[in-house]
Amino acid sequence: MPKSARRKQIEAVALYPLDWVEERSGLVGYTKWFLFRKVPRDINWMQTLGSATLTAFIVQAVTGVILAMYYKPDPDRAYESVVKITDEVTLGWLVRGMHKWGASVFIILMFLHMGRVFLFGAYKYPRELNWILGVLLLVTGMAEGFTGYLLPWDQTAYWATVVGININATGPFVGPFLAQFLQGGLAIGPDTLSKFYSLHMLVLPGAIMGLIGLHIYLVTRLGVTSPPWSSVAAGRPRPEENGPGGGRRGLIRDPAELEQAEEGEL
Amino acid sequence: MASKLQARRREEFKRYKEDTQREGKPFFPYAIYHDTVMSVVTVGVIIGLSFVWYFTADDTPQGDGLEAGVLGPWYADKADPGTTQFVPRPDWFFYFLFYLLRIFKWPETVLLGTVGIPTICLVLLLALPFYDRSPERRPLRRPVAMVAAILTVISMGVLTWKGATAQEALGSEIIASGEIEQWAAEQGFSDSREAIDGASLFAQTGCLNCHVYLGIGNANLGAPELSEVGATGRGADYFKSYVANPAQFGNNVMISYSYLGDENLGKLAAFLDASKGHGAAAEGG
Repeated sequence: MPKSARRKQIEAVALYPLDWVEERSGLVGYTKWFLFRKVPRDINWMQTLGSATLTAFIVQAVTGVILAMYYKPDPDRAYESVVKITDEVTLGWLVRGMHKWGASVFIILMFLHMGRVFLFGAYKYPRELNWILGVLLLVTGMAEGFTGYLLPWDQTAYWATVVGININATGPFVGPFLAQFLQGGLAIGPDTLSKFYSLHMLVLPGAIMGLIGLHIYLVTRLGVTSPPWSSVAAGRPRPEENGPGGGRRGLIRDPAELEQAEEGEL
Repeated sequence: MASKLQARRREEFKRYKEDTQREGKPFFPYAIYHDTVMSVVTVGVIIGLSFVWYFTADDTPQGDGLEAGVLGPWYADKADPGTTQFVPRPDWFFYFLFYLLRIFKWPETVLLGTVGIPTICLVLLLALPFYDRSPERRPLRRPVAMVAAILTVISMGVLTWKGATAQEALGSEIIASGEIEQWAAEQGFSDSREAIDGASLFAQTGCLNCHVYLGIGNANLGAPELSEVGATGRGADYFKSYVANPAQFGNNVMISYSYLGDENLGKLAAFLDASKGHGAAAEGG
């Protein structure tokens, strides 16, 4: 039996499930569209900050799910359950530590990623919408930080939330209502804690996941920008557009072109 | 003009797509390799921070990990709404906001600090692509944007640093520094033992975490200044029942201090009633 025929058979068997899924969903095509899209050849390390932020978020999601299995959102038991997670549960200290410090890393990475986008001018046409999604992610991410800080129900947590809620209460029009909603009662107590818990592990993560999905869709659709100072940046001006020589640039020297070349424009 | 700009942008993006298609490399495996390395570093840093945090915190007789290590304690004491000696402070990434609010004093300009400036900054951030419309992306050709960015980074850094190092008035420090005697002299209650005891309770019970009294305390939270609270002549009994149950007076923000007990509430009320404001001693004498 010739080898190539056998190989074809094996390939057909191996690819059958993929073909089956593709025929019924198109998902294989979308995955290829995401994975095998072209990116400019001169992208650099600064452009890994976005995916690093996503990694930090995934760490938060995974450790958060584990913490939720042991945490009790009730003022009488919350503190005790956090102590138990830290002191007794196997590697509980590591899971809680990663969630606690992952939050700071997540927020720092969001700011660094935003700084990179700003430096590269990558918020400009046609990526305006993605900048807005990014700012919304920053706001919801910080809201995660605010609501999560109360959950250990220790002194630091409690008084930070007193400050936060009172700051909300000074806002105009909706301020007092927002504060009253967050507090959920006469003082910060059981209702506050369960509200913060619900926001922290259902509402806000859901919003963040949706926003991240849209954010990555737009990155894939619009492409990654080249560093603007790169001499081989994708989208750089075409030589023929700059002088009368057209495609025969180099044969006819135009004074204006020489001047631009000296400035390092070309 | 707008259409010319539009045409230039579209032309540039068309060139971008052509260049990327012709010269670019596939995201998988080239770019994703760098992304993976960076992600491994990120997870490594998070795990490293957890180790430093966990293994440098020390145990105390009250419990394990309560003494702060390099990165703070495992947890503080359990939340206690009636605490006496606690400095309210948010998580570090809100320090800039926290300190911004300290700059503005209640009640005249606090709205500017809580709502005005943060809202304006957020709107400016969201709308950035709509007022910075030039297609130029090279940093050196965008001097205004770069200077604005550097100034923003510096102010956020300074506000965060100031927020981290800001000292609040703490009850014990106030009492140790002889502030109570000064209050008594200024307000003219030096001969009332009850009011002086009340002043110490006032400092210890954490009232200054939310209120300001003769220039000391926390002006960020929107609670009224109490330096002249007794000048309205509502009497000590009023203050006693108010502090015991603020909700009864329509105040749903302040907690009840009824746990202090009848005698202590009486002292606190006497102190508040004796607080008639600056120059009260001179007028009275």
